Amino acid sequence: MSRVNPEFATELKKYGASDFSACFNCGNCTATCALSTTDSSFPREMIRYSTLGLEDEIKASLKPWQCYYCGECSSECPRQAEPGELMMSLRRWLTAKYDWTGLSGLMYKSLPASITAFVLTFIGVLAFAFQSDFDLEHMMHVGHLFESIAIASIMVVIFVPNIIRMWYFTILEPKTKVSFKNYVSSIGEFFVTMFVQKRSLDCEDNRFRWFEHFILVLGYLSLLFTTVFMDWFSSQYTFVIVFGYVVSAIVFVVTIDFVNSRMKKKKVMNQHSQPSDWFFVIWLFLMGLTAFMTRLFIDLDILEMNKWLYILHFTILVQWALIIVPFGKWTHFLYRSFAMYFAKLKEVSK
Amino acid sequence: MVLDSNSLKYMKERIGVYICHCGGNISDYVDVEELGKMFHKEENVIISKDVMFACADSNQKDMVKDIQENNLDAIVVCSCSPKLHLHTFKNVASRAGLNPSNYVQVNIREQCSWPHSDRPREATVKAAGLIRAGINRVSFSESLENIELSVKKTALVVGAGVAGMKAAIELAKSGNEVYLLEKDYFVGGRIAQKDSLFMSGQKGKDIVASLYEEIRKQPNITLFTGATIEKVSGSLGNFHIDIKVKPRFINGKADKQAVKRAMEECPVSVDDAFNMGLTKRKAIYKNYPEALPDVPVVEAGLLKDETDFVAKFASTLNMNEQDETLSFIVGSVLITTGFDNYQPKEGEFGYKTIDNVVTLPELNRLIELCPEKLVYKGKQIKTVAFIYCVGSRQKKGDNKYCSRQCCTSTIHTSLQLKEKYEKIQTYHVYRDIRTYGKQEILYAQSSKQGDLYFKYEDKELPLVELDGKSTILKVKDYLTSKQELEIEADLVVLVTGMVPREDSTHISELFKIPIGRDKFFNEIHPKLKPVETVIKGVYIGGTCQGPKNVSESVQSSLAGASKITALLKSGTVSVDPIIARVNADACTWCGKCAEVCDYTAIKEVEVDGKRIAAVNTAVCTGCGMCAPVCPVNAIEIAQYTDHEIESMIDGFMQEVQIREKEVNPEEVQEEGKVGMKEYPQVWKEILAGMTEEKNTIPQIIANSKIAGELVTFHLMTMNRYGVVVPAGMDAKEEYFYYKKK
Ligand SMILES: Cc1cc2nc3c(=O)[nH]c(=O)nc-3n(C[C@H](O)[C@H](O)[C@H](O)COP(=O)(O)OP(=O)(O)OC[C@H]3O[C@@H](n4cnc5c(N)ncnc54)[C@H](O)[C@@H]3O)c2cc1C
Ligand code: SF4
Ligand code: SF4
Ligand code: SF4
Ligand code: SF4
Ligand code: SF4
Repeated sequence: MSRVNPEFATELKKYGASDFSACFNCGNCTATCALSTTDSSFPREMIRYSTLGLEDEIKASLKPWQCYYCGECSSECPRQAEPGELMMSLRRWLTAKYDWTGLSGLMYKSLPASITAFVLTFIGVLAFAFQSDFDLEHMMHVGHLFESIAIASIMVVIFVPNIIRMWYFTILEPKTKVSFKNYVSSIGEFFVTMFVQKRSLDCEDNRFRWFEHFILVLGYLSLLFTTVFMDWFSSQYTFVIVFGYVVSAIVFVVTIDFVNSRMKKKKVMNQHSQPSDWFFVIWLFLMGLTAFMTRLFIDLDILEMNKWLYILHFTILVQWALIIVPFGKWTHFLYRSFAMYFAKLKEVSK
Repeated sequence: MVLDSNSLKYMKERIGVYICHCGGNISDYVDVEELGKMFHKEENVIISKDVMFACADSNQKDMVKDIQENNLDAIVVCSCSPKLHLHTFKNVASRAGLNPSNYVQVNIREQCSWPHSDRPREATVKAAGLIRAGINRVSFSESLENIELSVKKTALVVGAGVAGMKAAIELAKSGNEVYLLEKDYFVGGRIAQKDSLFMSGQKGKDIVASLYEEIRKQPNITLFTGATIEKVSGSLGNFHIDIKVKPRFINGKADKQAVKRAMEECPVSVDDAFNMGLTKRKAIYKNYPEALPDVPVVEAGLLKDETDFVAKFASTLNMNEQDETLSFIVGSVLITTGFDNYQPKEGEFGYKTIDNVVTLPELNRLIELCPEKLVYKGKQIKTVAFIYCVGSRQKKGDNKYCSRQCCTSTIHTSLQLKEKYEKIQTYHVYRDIRTYGKQEILYAQSSKQGDLYFKYEDKELPLVELDGKSTILKVKDYLTSKQELEIEADLVVLVTGMVPREDSTHISELFKIPIGRDKFFNEIHPKLKPVETVIKGVYIGGTCQGPKNVSESVQSSLAGASKITALLKSGTVSVDPIIARVNADACTWCGKCAEVCDYTAIKEVEVDGKRIAAVNTAVCTGCGMCAPVCPVNAIEIAQYTDHEIESMIDGFMQEVQIREKEVNPEEVQEEGKVGMKEYPQVWKEILAGMTEEKNTIPQIIANSKIAGELVTFHLMTMNRYGVVVPAGMDAKEEYFYYKKK
């Protein structure tokens, strides 16, 4: 038997949820949600758990990840309870719960904490630049090295334990029995979600956004690949160089549109941007742009005179890799993919 | 029946009979044309005809012409229920110069054509019997005049709650003398116990004070407090009322300061009923400091042994005061005696068995008594759980009804709690939320502020349990997939509903007003006569009639007040002459009739040295109880004399010869089956669509090209009339087959 805990609502509000207490359980939101099914119905159920503070139920649920925030439910809600926004906040809350370091929670809840982290990393990069006497070649070498090391260590130190925790909360603790065969046969769901987000296609009026998202993911992953494995900044191959230009341009052009719609607030999902949302889109944009500019300056042979540009790019990169990727919104991309995989596991193991 | 010469003298000899088709409502099944011809041959019937619509203006004009040209002395209209058109045709008689008592209405629609549509011939035979009974009765009818009663322009309002006070003011403003009677020593009723009322947020006490102020300004309102009704006699226009007024035991001339001192020094203290036992009060008390009238009351019984104290305040207290009995006559009565709170049984959701379980009215008092922190039994309250519908909407118990105001009242209280004391969490365990109309706003506000709602069902009631020191509410929550949830609460509040006043049966016996199944007073008709009772001149308003909030209570009592004003306005009322009358020669004053008369309308009188029974025309309701008990047949009811009733029975029993209609055999066969002259066109089309031996509805729809819902609907009716019959299910067990019969 679960004990009701009204304090939870106050906690959740720190993650961005605002008006969900107004919900009177009519179920309109669930009825209109294109992704909700009889077997996995949401968002009303998640709102109910949230108002009652049934944390265990929420922690064990994968439903928040099944929502793509089309905002339909929020427009239909007769009580303006913003169910879509609640689902978003639950994703932030879950991210904080999965994260063993506790830093995600800290940064979601506290803007000063995030800003401090950004400032500290900036100081760190400056210190490093001073230490290397602003030797561009050295800096770029370390920068390149940093990328590979950061990816590897964040993977091992943060993501693997966090995913295991997620798996523990959602599969093991609720006592879902999954055979090894099912683990293997369902893995496809993980990759499909990661690259294609095909479920979001089910939401109406969402085609263009889906397409943008798809392109952005491809662009982002390709940029990662070109810089880390093909060493774009030092590469001599024309193909690599041009390819780098294209993908970095894709990243910053598409993010312009994302920033733009967050500013215009026309769509429901853009009406309640949290700092974490802004950091994500802006840093992505800056990453694309500074990478593009850096390579351009290299090709024009003016980077030596404009070392500040590389220092800026490096700062953005470090902040992205050490703050946004492990503790910010980037993780949603990862957890959502795993959530779909786990949901599939639950489904086939029934 | 043997007729004596006396009765023959009244006999009507020129009777007009009108038999109505009512469009087809009657003539589709009852052969009205044949009946018209038949009664033409009846003795004393001058005119007998069938008419398409008897009530139509043109026919009414024809009737007036008939009556005048043929010098008719009585008429019978055979049509619908007298409830619908009795007065229409009485007026026709009046217009033609005929006394309306010489009119009889026979109901051949509700009593013949409609209920016996399956057997048209029998319906016609029954109609013939009823019509002959009507003709017989009208031939014995007398010309009677309405009785004009003079009425007193005085009203009695029983109960000075918000409903009664407001009605009294309105009655007085409309020029009536008003007696306002209050059982308690202070006016205001239940709202005085509420600190804040939805929707306005006003204090109950403030409303009471402003109404009291207005009453004081009206010279023609006499208010009695501590007063109860002892006896009621008489009727509309002249109710004789005896009341008893209990004393306050305070010397009327005593100095106010002295009274105050006596209150303070009073040595006896008891549970304060007004505060529902949450506080104590003295033997000299007021319900609350500002209670009105502004004179305290002494509960004399409690001071029996306090002789020293009584002696000390001898000039202030007047312990020898006696009950006073008063009588007056009023033209009309408005009952506004209000409601009682449902009292939970011991152990019902832990009431009285678990320390921190209270009712909503108790919480309302507690809130008013706690200005800064909400404290109950020494403990500060931070969480409150409400259980709704306690004592209302009971599946098993007597109270099936919804108490209407408690959902809103609870939610309003919850808002008040958060406003008055910070940081109080409320839980609402409800069955349905009924915050109709504007009250819905409060519900939205409450959820927005974070009040939590849980839904339970009658079959799985929440449990209140002790868990160590804390109180736990266990709910099977229908909003969380029936999950069992635990709520920890400092205070559990039972949202109790409204029940009738404990003494409402006493009031109902005094005034003879009926009590409904819910045990509240009953109006005649919820829509059309919402404040009228079956007793002429007695009206009901406010919550004595059923659960209502303040606005609804006042609306209904004001409706009662306007009815009374309209009734008493002219100083006279005209009532039907259908009352008892005594044959002075035959009566031997045995008193039997007086014994059975519920309305004490019969008194013994002396006429020419003979003691006989006399009927008070103003009081007699014509109920007819007296007539059958008289051993010498000396008392009868006008328009229901033995002659009239017996002649009706004779008429109905007489054999009826109805000529069979000359129709072709095919038609007869159909008619026999359907009970209609002709099938409706759509039936024919449906039958034409039944091409196979048996057909499913989709087949019939396809064949006949008639809309599906029409086919379904008509097949049901056709089945009832034996035109088609169901013939099992089709192979896929999806549809029923139908076949022609
Ligand atoms: C807990 C609770 C909270 C409520 N809150 C609200 C609210 O916030 N807003 C709202 O609109 N409504 C509210 N209501 C409803 C409101 O209380 C009633 O609508 C209102 O009190 C009805 O008034 P009344 O005059 O019909 O009856 P009452 O208030 O009961 O008055 C009847 C009067 O008649 C007297 N009386 C009874 N019997 C006799 C007799 N035999 N002879 C002489 N006198 C007699 C009584 O002493 C009393 O003074 C609430 C009700 C409850 C139970
Ligand atoms: S539509 Fe709004 S009020 Fe209705 S259940 Fe969903 S969130 Fe609650
Ligand atoms: S935002 Fe869209 S996907 Fe998410 S719960 Fe609402 S309707 Fe469903
Ligand atoms: S008003 Fe609400 S609490 Fe009161 S009886 Fe009706 S449903 Fe129950
Ligand atoms: S019962 Fe008949 S006889 Fe007796 S008092 Fe009445 S009217 Fe007269
Ligand atoms: S009809 Fe007879 S019993 Fe009825 S009220 Fe009149 S006198 Fe009384």
